[in-house]
Amino acid sequence: MDQEFRIEERTDASPPVVAVSGEIDVATAPQLRECLHRVVAGSEASVVVDLLGVTFLDSTALGVLVGALKRCRELGGDLHLVVTDPRIMKIFEITGLTNVFTITDTVQAAGA
Amino acid sequence: MAETREALQNDDRVELRFPARGDLIVLARLVTSAVSARAGFDIEELEDLRLAVGELCLLTLQGTDDGSGDLCLRLRVRDDAISISSTLERAAASEVSPDNDNEENARLSEQILGALVDEHGRESRDGSVRAWMRKRRGGHAE
Repeated sequence: MDQEFRIEERTDASPPVVAVSGEIDVATAPQLRECLHRVVAGSEASVVVDLLGVTFLDSTALGVLVGALKRCRELGGDLHLVVTDPRIMKIFEITGLTNVFTITDTVQAAGA
Repeated sequence: MAETREALQNDDRVELRFPARGDLIVLARLVTSAVSARAGFDIEELEDLRLAVGELCLLTLQGTDDGSGDLCLRLRVRDDAISISSTLERAAASEVSPDNDNEENARLSEQILGALVDEHGRESRDGSVRAWMRKRRGGHAE
């Protein structure tokens, strides 16, 4: 059975971390968009999105992450992704987004 | 545990109809996984098809009112390939202008499909929108 979709905000970390688990698709992406919008707006610089618990993501999820990245950069910061699952990394690779995002394999390596 | 799943025969067809809502696309992914497994696709191909069919449904719903009409998913196993189409009937009447986010998402969907399947396309005709794709067993599209 697929893991339940969950978002955990660690805004006391620096930079703040948004940890997501489960499937991010057209049904759940709006919750992630709303969360990232809030965290990015309250952040002084960068935000880390921990995708280690994500089992599936689609183009809607990518769109949300790209939108958050743009907002971060407008504010002078950046959006760092944490990914290790080869199936999830493959989606970033085939869409060319590995050249757009900073992707690391641990939250610590992302600076948090 | 013993494997009891029955293989699909050549030219077998499966059809799924559900309300055209994004939150129900998970149904298309589930059915596609089950059908593809029974058609002999390996685990990597199954994952590709599961992702691809979701993008196919998203492309079908692109620029239309969420929830208007039914989405009909048709899967057909033939020789070494699976063909899947997603059709939204009478979509033109409720078609809305795509915004920048929708256009960006559609571009990402096209990129994902282009990498994961052998052929794909989208057409609007007589008030219906139909997106389709075809993937061969053992022939990675990348």
